[in-house]
Amino acid sequence: MATPILSVENLSKSFEGNQIFSNVSFSVDQGELSAIIGPNGAGKTTLFNLITGALVPDKGKIIFQGRNIVGMEPFDVVRLGMARAFQRTNIFPKMTVFENIVITIITRLRGNLRIFKRWNSSKKIERQAFEILESVGLAEKAHQLSGTLAHGNQKRLDIGVALALEPKLLLLDEPVAGMSPDERWETVELIKELWKKMNITMVFIEHDMDIVFGISQKVRVLCYKSLLAQGPPNEISANKQVIEAYLGEEV
Amino acid sequence: MDHMTSSSRTQWISGITVIVALFVLPVLLNEFGRTGEYWIWVSTEMIIMALFAMSLNLILGFGGMVSFGHAAFFGVGAYTVALLTKKADIPFYLALAAAPLTAAITAAIVGWFCVRLLGLYFAILTLAFGQLLYMIVFQWYTFTGGDDGILGIPRPEIFSPTNFYWFCLVLFLICFFVMRMIVSSSFGLSIKTIRENMERAKFIGINVRRYQLLNFIVAGAFAGLAGGMLAELNRFAQPDFLHWSESAEPILASLVGGMYSLAGPAIGSTVLIFLKIFLQQIHPSMVELWAIVLGAAILVVVLFAPSGLVGLYQNICKKFQS
Repeated sequence: MATPILSVENLSKSFEGNQIFSNVSFSVDQGELSAIIGPNGAGKTTLFNLITGALVPDKGKIIFQGRNIVGMEPFDVVRLGMARAFQRTNIFPKMTVFENIVITIITRLRGNLRIFKRWNSSKKIERQAFEILESVGLAEKAHQLSGTLAHGNQKRLDIGVALALEPKLLLLDEPVAGMSPDERWETVELIKELWKKMNITMVFIEHDMDIVFGISQKVRVLCYKSLLAQGPPNEISANKQVIEAYLGEEV
Repeated sequence: MDHMTSSSRTQWISGITVIVALFVLPVLLNEFGRTGEYWIWVSTEMIIMALFAMSLNLILGFGGMVSFGHAAFFGVGAYTVALLTKKADIPFYLALAAAPLTAAITAAIVGWFCVRLLGLYFAILTLAFGQLLYMIVFQWYTFTGGDDGILGIPRPEIFSPTNFYWFCLVLFLICFFVMRMIVSSSFGLSIKTIRENMERAKFIGINVRRYQLLNFIVAGAFAGLAGGMLAELNRFAQPDFLHWSESAEPILASLVGGMYSLAGPAIGSTVLIFLKIFLQQIHPSMVELWAIVLGAAILVVVLFAPSGLVGLYQNICKKFQS
């Protein structure tokens, strides 16, 4: 059995009296590619916000690589090796694609305080940046302002930025949202390829069931403030509770 | 790549031309007797205020933080020079070297609180701290001279108006190149990254507050140096140096000159001072029109050249190239 890279234990969170989660527990194994699904408002993005330190849970523990990270700031959680890509594209729009990646690498190497050299003076960082841009298919657009990229490419850049952190765990929040059907499958293939090649544990949120059941090894269903079910895709799609609550009759 | 090297070459050539012209300027002005001497004084003030405007722009343009209290650090620098030279008999050069330090320490204390807030709240808190320091200086008669300020700052003999102009110009150029180094370094890129998207910056691992505070301190230090220089130029320091209206000047200068370039605020500041003095020279009563002229200038810039004079110049260059 693989050891869990992340365990969530008895996590509870409420906003202004509205309970979002109560006692959610699960663990993510090292190296798995898994999905989180659930109806709108089930708190999928909130779960990512809790895990990455953007929100503080009311109760519960989040153990990442053997360490309770509850109460840590997002930038410290990132430094432990957890990266995330966002549902709404979240990049640095008035900087070039290249700059987006380079500042991320500089930050990973903790070089933010260097003032005597130009930021683009390191050939090594430049090479790494282009490797990442190649892997997400944006090398040719390196010197374009990232805000002027097409939506799909911005989402790829968002993933590229996350990869530049060389994470051990990567959280992808609806990585293909808003893309055309062709782009979707291209990006899904890209994600699967990256997962195989880079040995990263990946957890993604997705609405498209074809994608979810197509690539994930494990599916977790969030519903009714808690984890309704988890298991391999074939079990989940046959799970009566899940069908009633969420998937609908035809699945 | 060829295009880039040729454009950076023209940049260097025009930069060196401007620097040479600035060095020669007082020699020419000296030919015009008293008027010339007056304009040397004005040019020295322009250099100092240009440095002040550029210092603010480190946080405003590059960092995306609007501060209404930047004059506090300018004033602390001015009072450092005034108090050390007048009351402690410390030589001017040492006092001037102390100005950025005291300003940086003040900025560290003020900034520590301010960077906890965002946007408008940050701006208001800087305003509050700025006015607090202003009131302290204004009322502490035994130490700061209260609303009288400190008069009669000694002037080293070597400083004829021309020599002091050159002294300020050299300091300005050193600061210019240091700031240029800072904004094009990894630190500078980190600051721009925070400006672009603070939330995402956290999620690539940047400790946003820490870098905002560091930037705030650096900007404060440069402002303190400029304040120290102005105290020596005027040979006095007064509470108005810390007043919020003094904080507005570098903001307006950055708006007019262009806050997304290094030289923009310096150019904006120089243009505004020139306009004001020019009005004064036509007829002293014209100064009353200054607020209207300033308002009109800001309006034109905001509506027609949102990236300031530098942005306008760049657009014109692009049009001519294509």
